[in-house]
Amino acid sequence: MAIGVKVMQRPGREASYMRATLKGMALTFRHLFRRKVTMQYPEERSTETWTLSPRWRGTHRMLTDEQGRSKCVACGLCPQICPANCIKLVPGEDEEGNRYPLIYEIDEFRCVFCGYCQEVCPEEAIHVGVHYENAEYERGRFVYDLERLSAQTHPVSSLWDPTDPRGE
Amino acid sequence: MTTRTVEFELSTPGVDAAGRDIRVPLGVPGREVEDFPSEHVLINIGPQHPATHGVLRLVIELDGETVVRCIPHIGYLHSGFEKLAEYRHYNQIIPLTDRTDYLAPMSNNVCLALAVEKLMDIEITERCQVLRVIACEMSRIISHIVWLGTTGIDLGAFTPFLWLFHQRELIYDLQESWTGARLTTSLTRVGGMMADVPDGWEDGLRTFCQGFPKVLQEVDTMFTNNAIWCGRNQGVGVISQADAINGSLSGPLLRSTGVDYDVRKDRPYLGYETYDFDVPVGEHGDNYDRYLVRLEEMFQSTRILEQALDRLAGLRDAPMNVADARVILPPKSRAMSDMESMIHHFKQVMEGIHPPAGEAYLGIENPKGELGYYFVSDGTAKPVRWRIRPPSFVNLSALPQMCEGALLSDVIATNASVDIVMGEIDR
Ligand code: SF4
Ligand code: SF4
Repeated sequence: MAIGVKVMQRPGREASYMRATLKGMALTFRHLFRRKVTMQYPEERSTETWTLSPRWRGTHRMLTDEQGRSKCVACGLCPQICPANCIKLVPGEDEEGNRYPLIYEIDEFRCVFCGYCQEVCPEEAIHVGVHYENAEYERGRFVYDLERLSAQTHPVSSLWDPTDPRGE
Repeated sequence: MTTRTVEFELSTPGVDAAGRDIRVPLGVPGREVEDFPSEHVLINIGPQHPATHGVLRLVIELDGETVVRCIPHIGYLHSGFEKLAEYRHYNQIIPLTDRTDYLAPMSNNVCLALAVEKLMDIEITERCQVLRVIACEMSRIISHIVWLGTTGIDLGAFTPFLWLFHQRELIYDLQESWTGARLTTSLTRVGGMMADVPDGWEDGLRTFCQGFPKVLQEVDTMFTNNAIWCGRNQGVGVISQADAINGSLSGPLLRSTGVDYDVRKDRPYLGYETYDFDVPVGEHGDNYDRYLVRLEEMFQSTRILEQALDRLAGLRDAPMNVADARVILPPKSRAMSDMESMIHHFKQVMEGIHPPAGEAYLGIENPKGELGYYFVSDGTAKPVRWRIRPPSFVNLSALPQMCEGALLSDVIATNASVDIVMGEIDR
């Protein structure tokens, strides 16, 4: 095992116009008969060789429990770790002393989709999801509130999830 | 044209020591700015010019078609990364590094993790080292692909661009299935990685390693002996060995002059000294040698990837993250079930990691040259200062020297061959 040094020699042969051009054209021509690799995006969303990875970090989703309440306990870890400071959390407490978020908002415009919020969430409540098309007509619509986050239906990223043991 | 116009064009606003507004003249320092002869023309390339590879502006003084002076103006993409980092925990800086050299995000992530680990004196695991080598070499390949493809376009060859970008897509797909993002990978964490590669991922990379050299051979057929390619590149943009060393250049730009300096070889990190590969060097220091060096580096990277994959197979069940509770979060399932891990998890997230007071510099061989991260810590969870040594910034400073005296069309070829990325220059 060694790291060598290799001096790059210029090709000894004279550079050529005709020969090189013809060779290049022959090669390009052969490429015409290869399988096409372009994906016709809006019509075609996945091909047999590519689908969006299950680890994809995209639009957020808040998971809910059986009664439809969000799993979040307003612990405050995700607003703390978020490097883009885009999570707004106001904690509240119900009669039984359970903490829940009064306000939970994510500004998807500021978000950098690093997934740290999902990585730190101790309740597996907030998730980044396998979804990327989120165009809107108004800026204000990019601030996702708790209701909107809970209403998302796309699958969640398998990173930091027990279903993907290699994803930690 | 009068002298007043020239002064205006060749200066930039600034403040002096007393805070007054002044105009700072641009140009090579220490050289007298001669009068601007009336037959000379000043032209502006960029910042929105496709051939400047980003928002770079070149002000060029021309005598006929000969470049008399070339002054790069930078700063259009300034994002204040270094300052932002002073308000973030060490792990929170990782998403920022994705966006400096955005053509090789994974190797920036690796450099940051290595620099903080040096600050904290952490020894990473063997599996983590191999994974990081894979990340670095994948980045080298995609960065060189972008360089080769766009340089081809600048010089009028469109076809290899399409072939190469297909290969780049394949790496992006692998990147996506590993990290969950195509560009903003945020792959590393201090002391480990964000995630291990998914099952079966290695096969995908192996297939890539088999197919990629064939595509490179095709590109070699198209370019290496082509008279147009040779004519536009050989003897153009020459820089001498002494100038390259004096200018502190690094990467393929330095190696094309014949200096065999490669951080992987001279100050090995991540166990690079145990891999088998060659460092290609040129002889003439011109654009053509830079092409040969980068082309060969892609072959060598493929070689390193294959060796790393073999090692990874042997380390299948080895741990990836260090067993150091100061830096690594407990596994998610443990944090959710066991009280002690839960408290540890909270403390870790809320307070961040605390390196000892001190400073550390770590340089790695990025695709574009030596990338260095320098941290100053005062013992708190946030760095006092984070300084990036961006290879492109230093390399760009050689551009005026390489262009002056050449023709205008050579500026495009030379600028392309320096291989800059503006995210890193303006940072
Ligand atoms: S993905 Fe990252 S930036 Fe977006 S909300 Fe979560 S922590 Fe913040
Ligand atoms: S980390 Fe989870 S539980 Fe804590 S505030 Fe965020 S979403 Fe809620």
